[in-house]
Amino acid sequence: MATITATLSVNSDISNYGGPAISKTMTMTKAGSTVGLERTSGLQRKYMTSTNHIDLIQGAAGVVADMTVSATSSAAKIYIKYIETDTSKYVTLGLGTSSGSSTFQANDSTTTPAFELGRLYGDEWMIIPWDGTSASGDITVKPSDASAAAPAIVEYIVFFD
Amino acid sequence: MATTTAAITLTSADLLTDALSLSATNTLYKAGTTVGLDQTTGITKAYLTATTNVDIFPTLIEGSMAFAGKSSWVYICNESTDETEYAIITISGNVIGKLYAGDFLWMPWSQSEDGHGNNRHGDIELAPSVATGMWFSWCMVNEGTEYPTAV
Repeated sequence: MATITATLSVNSDISNYGGPAISKTMTMTKAGSTVGLERTSGLQRKYMTSTNHIDLIQGAAGVVADMTVSATSSAAKIYIKYIETDTSKYVTLGLGTSSGSSTFQANDSTTTPAFELGRLYGDEWMIIPWDGTSASGDITVKPSDASAAAPAIVEYIVFFD
Repeated sequence: MATTTAAITLTSADLLTDALSLSATNTLYKAGTTVGLDQTTGITKAYLTATTNVDIFPTLIEGSMAFAGKSSWVYICNESTDETEYAIITISGNVIGKLYAGDFLWMPWSQSEDGHGNNRHGDIELAPSVATGMWFSWCMVNEGTEYPTAV
């Protein structure tokens, strides 16, 4: 069993009353268990030389080929960062599948193709739990700006049961 | 201008053959700018006693998408200490994943429009796994929320 921890710190002076301030550490465990997650995709980098909408992380038999897929018990976590210093550029993250569409769909439709979760602007990152139980749970990405000369780069790592 | 910073550290001494140590820090800006986010819901602490799927952030207003595509950052934490208790996090019914006891998420949220004008819009929803009571915390830092007019 491995011990993987993630510590989040958010500090802000927005409120006149202080904060919001968040300081939280989680130890990543298997679903419904105190046993630590012990599998990972390893830290990956994806270079995108066009603004095509693509699958970044595929559930089932995708990038995480040996992930235990369970509709009821997945405790996987995903960390993604957009490696870019220009804060006007962004990558749009989606959930679903990119196939057959260069755009995102309304987000109460079925998840084929993907709906838009959110955007990572330059230097931003996120960490989320991931169901990843079928192809409809793929994590997709679409850069706002990318070329062969100046590729969009995202870094990610998956931890899973 | 307000300044909000977010930092993450991911570590493991025994997951791989060498230690994993990954850190990232960034300042939260309004979409496409270097102007800091200046609005927040503050941190909510809630004790939910039903397994009902609930909206935890304000819905967008029908026919108005003033803040769609703007920068919004969401924090949700399952404060339970019972490892079997989890919450299912969805956006308009699409499952993102489960937060087990002690788990949190930190993610951008586009507040994208839905396709049916049924007031679900891009709501972020949370469904506890048990009705015996679970503690949660959540917070949003963003550049605006359009609140419904009182009736």
